Amino acid sequence: MTSTKAIPLSSRPVDVAIVLSLADVVKEYPGPPPVRAVDGISLDVEAGELVAVVGPSGSGKSTLLHIMGALDLPTSGDVVVDGNAVASMSDRELSALRAHTLGFVFQEFFLIDGVSATENVAQGLLYRGIGPDERSKRARSALERVGLGGRLGHLPSQLSGGERQRVAIARALVGDPAIMFADEPTGNLDSVTSGEIIELFLALNAEGSTIVVITHDHELASRFPRQVRLRDGRLEMS
Amino acid sequence: MKSKLRFADTLGLAWLGLRARSGRTALTSLGIAIGIAAVVAVIGISASGRADLLAALDRLGTNLLRVSAGQGILGGPAELPEDAPAMTARVGPVEAVSAVARLDATVRRTELIPEVETGGLSVVAVEPDLFDVLGGEMAAGTFLDAGSSRLPATVLGSVAAERLGVSTLAYQQMVTIDGQEFVVVGIADGLQLHPDLERSALVGFDVATAEIGEAPLSAMYVRVDPTSIDDVVEVIPTTVNPESPDRVEITRPSDALAAREAADAALTQLLIALGSVALIVGGVAIANIMVMSVLERRMEIGVRRSLGATRGHIRRQFLTEAILLAAIGGLVGVGLGAGITWGFAAARGLPVTVPIEALFGAVGVALLIGTLAGLYPASRAAAIPPSQAVRGTR
Repeated sequence: MTSTKAIPLSSRPVDVAIVLSLADVVKEYPGPPPVRAVDGISLDVEAGELVAVVGPSGSGKSTLLHIMGALDLPTSGDVVVDGNAVASMSDRELSALRAHTLGFVFQEFFLIDGVSATENVAQGLLYRGIGPDERSKRARSALERVGLGGRLGHLPSQLSGGERQRVAIARALVGDPAIMFADEPTGNLDSVTSGEIIELFLALNAEGSTIVVITHDHELASRFPRQVRLRDGRLEMS
Repeated sequence: MKSKLRFADTLGLAWLGLRARSGRTALTSLGIAIGIAAVVAVIGISASGRADLLAALDRLGTNLLRVSAGQGILGGPAELPEDAPAMTARVGPVEAVSAVARLDATVRRTELIPEVETGGLSVVAVEPDLFDVLGGEMAAGTFLDAGSSRLPATVLGSVAAERLGVSTLAYQQMVTIDGQEFVVVGIADGLQLHPDLERSALVGFDVATAEIGEAPLSAMYVRVDPTSIDDVVEVIPTTVNPESPDRVEITRPSDALAAREAADAALTQLLIALGSVALIVGGVAIANIMVMSVLERRMEIGVRRSLGATRGHIRRQFLTEAILLAAIGGLVGVGLGAGITWGFAAARGLPVTVPIEALFGAVGVALLIGTLAGLYPASRAAAIPPSQAVRGTR
């Protein structure tokens, strides 16, 4: 899907289609004592990649994810998301960037109770100003992509944990984001269901989606084509 | 590339937020509903009362004067000079005059009732044109005319009729006046400005002087050109009693209604003030609940920010929710208030009048309260940085 909205091949060589670029990114929380959660990280993610950012808790994974996802700004260093230099952008511009080019999946799913799976997924298009009919249509097809074509009208309370996470994934990719972030997407799931979610990520990636998964689980990360190890805010290996 | 949230979707979000917490929504909007209902009901009831009053004033007119003989310096019976009606009728702006005489007689249901039990009722001699001058109505029967004035016939005031137990004229009813049987030919109504007449049996002058005795004039009712009332009031005492004009008393029965309206208006204002206090309390309750809601819904705010909501969108969502909450309360309150007004007016036999401005005003006030109550919680919600919101840290 990402391939359909990627930059035309003629203007850029395929192997340099970088959708996310971090250069010497530092995030420091004011103290005392000041804490450097992210300490000089440089990282490029190309279109079509599936990257696992893996590290123990406290290694700065979440902070890094927030910076990559334009939810937070770095103390220093450059972040370029889909050609946009994040540092100089206003709240409105950052919000627009998230609405149009980024997708997020959270550990706790964060679906709206009392609203059908389709409507939950349609929320992913809410801040693009798209009409309700078009939203529902695209939400249904996104749910089919994650294998929930038979659960369109179900409420979150009628779905299993794995199904809920699939709904959340559908919500993240309904807008065809240039890059999708998943923060511990299997953290609340049993091992079998976790495996299924991993398979889904692999399948989506095979269809062209660019995905960055954050996890503390090395075994899970090892199933992804590229792994980035994080410790104490620094990269160990890329 | 822009982040935008359609207006309809903003409303949808607010509705979703309220629906998800329906019990809390109902309780929170109840405060506003009670306040609005109180204000609307007070305005409606007072408007209905005023409409009734104005209708009465319209019918009875404000240009009626009652001229009576004041007590003499030495006490003694108060009477107007015999030529007072004729003299008064000669004054330019006077349109009509009708004199009455309070008789020294009692009215009883039958001879068998002891004479001392008068029931506070009196007997008054009247002219046939009195009813036209006063603008009264008949509950039953007819008023005295030139013919029945000469006969032992009487018209009872509404209070007198009730006390004498005469509620219908479907069959012939008799009462005993000064020991003689009188036929009741009519029951008068609409004399609420003239409590003395309501408590009287009215008879013709002719029969009064023939059968009962002397009928010295005790009062006159004077209908005046409405533009010259003050002038007439000034000249009447000397016209009626040139020798001692200070023994002439002039009252304007409609003043009693005007005074009642002034008292009603003061009470209405007090009640509206009380209702407004309820509204303010309702607004504070909304603000309170919304602040709590923002704390609870940090994660939702985080998810929405990650989906592309701007600070403005978050602010709008929570503000709209607060306004909607107040609007629900406002609409329920308007319905409740209008219902109370209707019930009250129907029970009292008043015309149902709920001023349309009061209804729109009430909803407008509710919206304003919702806006004020929502501003602070909404800006708090919008101020949460997205990275903190998705973490759920407090």
